[in-house]
Amino acid sequence: MSWLPYAVAAWLFGIGLFGISTSRNYIHLIGCLSVCQSATYVLLLGIGYRWDAIAPIFYDHPPGTPAVDPVMQALVLTDIVVGATLTALLLVLTLQVYKRRGTLDPERLRPMRKNAGGGRVGARQEPGTEAQL
Amino acid sequence: MSAILALLLLLTAASGTAVVLIREPRRQVFAIGLNGLILTVLFTALQAPDVALSELAVGTAAVPLLFVVALSAVRTASPSQSADPGDHTKSPEDA
Amino acid sequence: MNARWRLVLLGLACLVLVPCAVSAIRAMPDFGADIAAYGARINAIAPAERHVANMVSAINFDIRGLDTLGEEFMLLAAITGTVVLLRGSRGEAITDRAARLPGRPVLPRAEVVVLACRIAGPITALFGTYVVLHATVTPGGGFQGGVILASATLLIYLGEGYAGWRDSVRSRWLDAMEGGGALLFVLCGLAPMLVGAAFMENVLPLGTFRDLFSGGLMLVENLGVAAAVTGGFTQLFLEFMEETREPDQSDDPKGENA
Repeated sequence: MSWLPYAVAAWLFGIGLFGISTSRNYIHLIGCLSVCQSATYVLLLGIGYRWDAIAPIFYDHPPGTPAVDPVMQALVLTDIVVGATLTALLLVLTLQVYKRRGTLDPERLRPMRKNAGGGRVGARQEPGTEAQL
Repeated sequence: MSAILALLLLLTAASGTAVVLIREPRRQVFAIGLNGLILTVLFTALQAPDVALSELAVGTAAVPLLFVVALSAVRTASPSQSADPGDHTKSPEDA
Repeated sequence: MNARWRLVLLGLACLVLVPCAVSAIRAMPDFGADIAAYGARINAIAPAERHVANMVSAINFDIRGLDTLGEEFMLLAAITGTVVLLRGSRGEAITDRAARLPGRPVLPRAEVVVLACRIAGPITALFGTYVVLHATVTPGGGFQGGVILASATLLIYLGEGYAGWRDSVRSRWLDAMEGGGALLFVLCGLAPMLVGAAFMENVLPLGTFRDLFSGGLMLVENLGVAAAVTGGFTQLFLEFMEETREPDQSDDPKGENA
């Protein structure tokens, strides 16, 4: 039991990484990235937890009552909110890719190569945009 | 208490796995929302009400909404193409 | 790189990462045994030093306020980037009509949805305001309350439709809230220096413990964060929703960069 939160965090990060590396759709890939992000929340809050302790808010309990680590919570709190705006930024970049290249598949966003991606034809090459992608 | 925490942690691992394994983005949005909800309950159990509030608002409302809007923008971005962005087996469509 | 090579690379990375993760997990302190000394010290002295009950807010707005300043500007930068990208690629020609796939029926909004949104919207806004204002007393603060307030504006969209939403939420105000909130946070850092204190030193009267007005300068910083997060997230929703509108067909703005 004492290792379970850390193992869950490692699993979430690993499965997110697996999803990112096998994803065939950028929107799905961003969802996998958010799973990787949630691994950090579980890890940080797991480190900051203490058995039989209260939340670090001394309203109902007098100061001095054993409480869990507030530093980790402050870290995670801002991470969630800032992370959501970064998700939005990534989604917008995805929309830009779709508008310019007409595909959301990372496999197709490369110069033409006949046998790429299991025999499918790659996307038409546009010299100006290739370097940004 | 310990059993609830262990159960919630396992649920978190399962819902995170579901987000990754549901490959079609339109279905994945629901998994993302559910993942946010389970994370909210887990954070409450870990004595982090501040974090739970923020995850509740962000993870179950804001982020799924952004995904839904992005998906609908992709589907309607170029009305001449009847391409389905979640389906890779169709012929490639160039912009 | 095709899918098989990616999996091979991931497998190779896992060969290194999994033993590292296992040894790291084995070396971690037992879950729930004890917390870090820094957090324990804050729990011990901050209620008396800062007169606030919520330690998380005390860290965010006072003890590690400088870090929050950085996060605030990360938020600002991410939202500015999103808005610039969306507006830049969209151009001016946008109609009010929702873009639809051909052949999809238009479903009128049910009256019960309108009623539910009109009831739930103000309540959500009230709850968000409560969460913002009670940052130093109960769980809450500018970050959480700001997101709740932003999602309350979404209920306007759900209940009143796109046009009603655009009429009640002005993009210009949101810009002002977002930038003004960040500016307020910076000013909270600089103002104490005018009276000879350190950057972001809490010079205002600290108030009473467990009272709504406790924490001094934290309350002002909290309002700045709340304004920035509310404005920023509502702006995000607004700009994303704009993306679902049908482009003006007369001079197709998407045609030129496709």
